[in-house]
Amino acid sequence: MLGRFTQGELPIAGRRREQLLFLMDNGIYVVTVFMFIVFVFLAPYFFTPRNLVNILISASLAGIVTAGYTVAILAGQIDTSTQGVLAVATVTTALLFEEAGFSLPLTVIFALLAGVAAGLFNGLIVVNGKIDAFVATLATQVVMLAIALFLSGGQTITIAREGLQEAVFIRVFGIPSSVWIMFFCYIVGYIMLTQTKLGAHIYATGADYRASLLSGVPVDRVIRIALVISALTAALTAILVTARAKQSAMFGLAIAGSVDFVTALTAVLLGGFSLFGGVGRIERNLVAVFFLTILGNGLQLMDVPTGIILIVRGFALVLAVILSVLRARMT
Amino acid sequence: MANDEVILETIDLDKSFGAVHAVRSVSWKVYSGRVNALVGDNGAGKSTLIKLISGALQPNAGGFRVRGQDTRIGGPAGAFGLGIAAVYQDLALVENRDVVMNMFLGSELTRGPGQIFLDHKAMLRQAHQVLDDIHARIPNVREMVRNLSGGQRQAVAVGRALIRGGEIIIMDEPTAALGVEQTQEVLQLIDTLRAQGKTIILISHNIQQVFQIADYISVMFHGDLLGTRSRDEATEAEVVAMIMGKRSP
Repeated sequence: MLGRFTQGELPIAGRRREQLLFLMDNGIYVVTVFMFIVFVFLAPYFFTPRNLVNILISASLAGIVTAGYTVAILAGQIDTSTQGVLAVATVTTALLFEEAGFSLPLTVIFALLAGVAAGLFNGLIVVNGKIDAFVATLATQVVMLAIALFLSGGQTITIAREGLQEAVFIRVFGIPSSVWIMFFCYIVGYIMLTQTKLGAHIYATGADYRASLLSGVPVDRVIRIALVISALTAALTAILVTARAKQSAMFGLAIAGSVDFVTALTAVLLGGFSLFGGVGRIERNLVAVFFLTILGNGLQLMDVPTGIILIVRGFALVLAVILSVLRARMT
Repeated sequence: MANDEVILETIDLDKSFGAVHAVRSVSWKVYSGRVNALVGDNGAGKSTLIKLISGALQPNAGGFRVRGQDTRIGGPAGAFGLGIAAVYQDLALVENRDVVMNMFLGSELTRGPGQIFLDHKAMLRQAHQVLDDIHARIPNVREMVRNLSGGQRQAVAVGRALIRGGEIIIMDEPTAALGVEQTQEVLQLIDTLRAQGKTIILISHNIQQVFQIADYISVMFHGDLLGTRSRDEATEAEVVAMIMGKRSP
């Protein structure tokens, strides 16, 4: 008989597919907990308060940038300009605080505005130029890196003035502020994505641009907003990284090795997101960020050479891409 | 035909794309609470005429009269305002969103400060109500659209049109990709809509189906509207002849 749907049932293939998708989407929770337990036994000093706080700080820096990145991916925009935004914002922070003598609040505001400007620039190229975000932001990143290089004169700006690190990295209940900021970003992100009209429009635009357009969703505005959010969280991360290191950081190099486009992308994909937009839940990304951070931290404590750790991280990205494509084929 | 009220009328509507004259001075009457079928071969101008009525295209000349008032249809939003809602052939549904979010896509119910928060409860309630009204059999409105059958998808798309206040519902080849039983579901859906007083504009290739469901059958050929017949006075042979360009006496 055709039309079994009339009895209110899905075809078996559909149900099995949904089960497999559920497993792919939620496997990250199990794997992360399992890995944590393994490191507790295998990696010396792993399960010490000091190291756990270290993990939290590392995860918070990668986590904040990933939160905004997630929003862009959900709207169907692969934002590859993260490194460029980080560079512009770190140089802005260091220059304004150290050399121009700006107050801390003004420094933070201008560094965030630099992020907003970068996001608007991305939006202009993507929306008005009708260029795929992946390619467009690859190009804008080059411009941003060059601007950062020009502003800093190619030098690392060391921050000798007191007050930045102390203010930014205060501890609340023993936990550094960056960790609280990360949780705040994810809570706001979660509410925005699941409870607001903007969130519904971000999901819809990423899942099906044309259908959303025909249904009256302001797709172009949604894409602009998503790109601004992505750049804004990158700028926020840059301020924190700069404050922590007490110097401007050129990203992609050692100092901020764990906060980059690749980490964000890996985390997003491991979290069960589709590269093609419209699918995923932000809370899973947070778990994926912890997965990557714990993996790096645990291997380091086991004295695994850095080169090997980078290779393992590379494979994590490859695995994540495969999972993402498999997932896209199934839906 | 004499007793039926005209709800929408195109007046000398004309549309060209470069050298292609897609719609030639078409004056067409759409009857209220009836199923108005529009038939014709590929390239006859059906889709263009429908896009003009749904506001997706603007005419080069001519106009509209809706409920007796001369008006223009400025765009899809303008069409919604007049109670005209199109259900596109590909339905314009978002596969990876659930039934409720698809039905309210672009016209979400909101609450709270600045109306930025979604009113999930109200949307859920209204979605259930609309789907019940059209006797749609969708067991779970939180189901992703990708898991629905063709007939169920059609119901979701029609539900969206109704939520937007659609009184004149344009359905473009709604059964083109469906199997036998699902086609019957959609025909029942059209029947239900008519029973509720909605006006249907139905584009179809399938003559038997048109004779099964439509009250009026209008035929287009090479951009011209050849004529409109009530189902009772027309024969399949006559309509087929008109589709092939033979003007009936």
